Amino acid sequence: MTKYDFVGKDVPRVDADVKVTGEAMFTTDVKLPNMLWGRMLRSPLPHAKILNIDTSKAERLNGVKAVITGEETPFVFGVSHMDQTPLQTEKVRYVGDPVAAVAAVNLDTALEALDLIQVDYEPLPAVFDPEEAMKEGAPIIHEGVERNIAANPRYNIGDVEKAFQNADHVFEDCLETQRVAHVCPEPHNCVAVWDQSGKLTFYYCSQMPSVTRVQLSKALGIPESKIRVITNNVGGGFGSRATSKFPMDFAAIVLARKAGRPVRIEYTRDEEFIYSTFRHKFIMTVKTGIKNDGTITGRHITNVCDNGAYSDYGPVVTNVGGAMQGTLYRFMDYRYDGYTVYTNLPYGGAMRGIGNPQVHYAGETQLNMIADRLGMDPLELRLKNVVRTGDETASGAILKSCGLAECLEEAADKIGWKEKRANPVPNRGLGIACGVHFTGVRLSPGIDADFAGATLTVNDDGSVNLATSCVDIGSGSSTALTQIAAEVLGIEIEKINTIFGDTETCPMGWGSRASRNTAIGGMAVQKAAEDARKQILKAAGEKLEVHPDDLDIRNSTVFVKSAPGKSLDVADVVRFNRYRKDGQAVMAKSHWDAPSQLADPVTGRGNFSMAFSFGAKAIEVEVDPGTGRIKVLNVAASQDLGKAINPLGAIGQIEGAVHMGLGFAMSEEIVLDDTGRMKNNYLLDYRVLTPLDMPPVSPILVETDDRAGAFGAKGVGEMATIGTPDALVSAVAGATGLFITDLPITPEKVLMGLKRKESK
Amino acid sequence: MPIQSYFQERWGQAMKRKIRLTVNNETYDLEVENRRTLLEVIREDLHLLGTKQMCNMGECGSCTVLMDGQAVNSCITLAVEAHGKKIETIEGVARDGKLDPIQEAFVAKGAVQCGYCSPGMIMTAKDLLAKNPQPTEKEVKTAIAGNLCRCTGYVRIVDAILTAADTMKE
Repeated sequence: MTKYDFVGKDVPRVDADVKVTGEAMFTTDVKLPNMLWGRMLRSPLPHAKILNIDTSKAERLNGVKAVITGEETPFVFGVSHMDQTPLQTEKVRYVGDPVAAVAAVNLDTALEALDLIQVDYEPLPAVFDPEEAMKEGAPIIHEGVERNIAANPRYNIGDVEKAFQNADHVFEDCLETQRVAHVCPEPHNCVAVWDQSGKLTFYYCSQMPSVTRVQLSKALGIPESKIRVITNNVGGGFGSRATSKFPMDFAAIVLARKAGRPVRIEYTRDEEFIYSTFRHKFIMTVKTGIKNDGTITGRHITNVCDNGAYSDYGPVVTNVGGAMQGTLYRFMDYRYDGYTVYTNLPYGGAMRGIGNPQVHYAGETQLNMIADRLGMDPLELRLKNVVRTGDETASGAILKSCGLAECLEEAADKIGWKEKRANPVPNRGLGIACGVHFTGVRLSPGIDADFAGATLTVNDDGSVNLATSCVDIGSGSSTALTQIAAEVLGIEIEKINTIFGDTETCPMGWGSRASRNTAIGGMAVQKAAEDARKQILKAAGEKLEVHPDDLDIRNSTVFVKSAPGKSLDVADVVRFNRYRKDGQAVMAKSHWDAPSQLADPVTGRGNFSMAFSFGAKAIEVEVDPGTGRIKVLNVAASQDLGKAINPLGAIGQIEGAVHMGLGFAMSEEIVLDDTGRMKNNYLLDYRVLTPLDMPPVSPILVETDDRAGAFGAKGVGEMATIGTPDALVSAVAGATGLFITDLPITPEKVLMGLKRKESK
Repeated sequence: MPIQSYFQERWGQAMKRKIRLTVNNETYDLEVENRRTLLEVIREDLHLLGTKQMCNMGECGSCTVLMDGQAVNSCITLAVEAHGKKIETIEGVARDGKLDPIQEAFVAKGAVQCGYCSPGMIMTAKDLLAKNPQPTEKEVKTAIAGNLCRCTGYVRIVDAILTAADTMKE
């Protein structure tokens, strides 16, 4: 393997120093002179006609500087479906749908003003269950959308009915996942300010500021050059700040224009839980054909996604879950029927894995149920069926690298799979599951692009300014990108300043989504750095009178390979190059589009990502039969990440993902009342696992060196989330003999299950 | 209900009171409304933005500061309660441009990801190590159980605090 100076090393984060001192600036820290506080008025009813809105009293309140309704925000937005407007004028579609907004000198005044706005509603029949909403005669939530089906993503590959005929057994099971909140530490917030020239500056806590600029330009009808989006450090994103736009964004922008002053809108924690989107609830039926020797012949998955009142990422998450289940095992007959169904409930969005963890949960849990029914070893069953390097999968993915089998074996070894299964201990159980996720993706119909950008300048003193389209939302991408630039340039990490998040200084790119920053953003950085390196070597060659091919750079020194004593500082080369007649700067830019393809519009097949990450989770639990309480004893989490650019960072991603996955499995659930109002929108009621709940985690990095991404890297953050609930549910089944198929598996569910089992 | 609305509903626009705070060894004479929280005064009046607000209900620990050496959630501490007290915020932890051993360990051990919980987490760790310089792993986990982190799974944070304890012993 190639020896690197910076890549593959445990490098402390480049932003850690300012984060531990509290100096790091977040959007919540943006305070501008004369700034007003904005606040939105939300609907108390799940489905109702708006008869009248009277804002006159609110406008007269001392300290109120602007009041707006939907008449002033006639913008249409959405992720895949343009089905949303910021403030409703005709009808509201869920409890919380905004109808008006105010800006006042402080938050208290804004809150008081909201109380003075009178809205008259006429309640409409509402529907809260996606399966009910799909029936003929159900209340229609969006005009013209029949049976409330917003999207119907499908995959129909091979002949699944024939595959079931060729099977010795066909099993069909229903599994359900719940709504789960992102719980971003930093609430969704923004500050909008206009200047006299008509230019908008939008401070925005986002994963994708450059895409935000395009979206705002289209919605507001003003040129992109007149919009500056600034994203500071981001206090967690997990998908909730990707291409989703929020009513608050437009409300702040319009209030700021009307008041002629900067306006901040910031979610309170209870709003953050439910109005920043969440992981959609999926109701899934999985049908699998299997031979006596364990070969899976085919699979048919039906998935009803509770979209909520607006589409946001609903159609996308329904689609992604389907694509990925056709990428894990070698069967070539696959059918997926997804239904993204409107209900009068708050709407979900993209959350770490974008629908994939839910559908994986169903597929993997059912496979463990099948292994149990047929008396097979779930590990052996998987190893018999998993995809391998070189495969073209049912979904059309072409696997240039695949460490899935190795991931399974290593996770199993780490947990003690064989020994512990041979020597069972009462009330203890083992579970295993595996998964696949993409590294960047081309699944959005109509957009045949998956790119990142980088610009790089080497300064007179040999230091480097690197600007990237990738926002570091905590994942450590800025550190990995700095390592990549350092490696290519031969310039030390400390001399490189990597920035992101300002549309006036950073290039356009897809931003932080689909686990793409290190691999795809890294490739853009690598290309720009290679160009800058070439420029340095060319100038140094002129000065040293040698051919550039005979030069190399290390520790900021350009040296002659055949005579290492003959050398120049990079700084000297840059100055020589600049301060001479017809001089040049060392500057480079790159726009890199990942080599993936759009899927076939009919079958859904295609090589939709440039590289696929794989992983496995093996979990050991102990269940208390008296209380139903589950104690997680150990988690082994392996991941094929191509190449670990920064192993310390990759391990941190995996540990955090296991924490999130265990919460998804055991404790986290958004509970809605019968009108769709969240009942547990506080951190004491919505249970994120505490440090005391966390079991020991053993992260295992499997390197397969996929050449598509920078230095062989593939995505980490999303794949690491997949498989934890699946393995946990199966471990509990191992301990109790009970498969609990609807998440989360709480002690109550375990206890009730055990009681039912006893009474049989 | 947010604390501000609670006070406003019960007592209307509150009266102001003069208080003296010593924050990071600097003395401030302030006039604050009775109902305002210490967090609001730290962030809005003193412009010390390192202390973060996440839940504003005392449930997440991100606003933790030390009040007379005791870790408190500044979002549920009234500013008037802090009158005459010594407050230490994250801005006061590094001295003379040098990071505290806890901060150094957070950097070196990968305990920081998005960084939003880090200031509160570090203040809680300072409180712990001042009272219990050689904590067990369980004691560290118990101490930070009221500090929410959504990124790390706490593994590296616990490791960093134990590492800092070892460094400070030497």
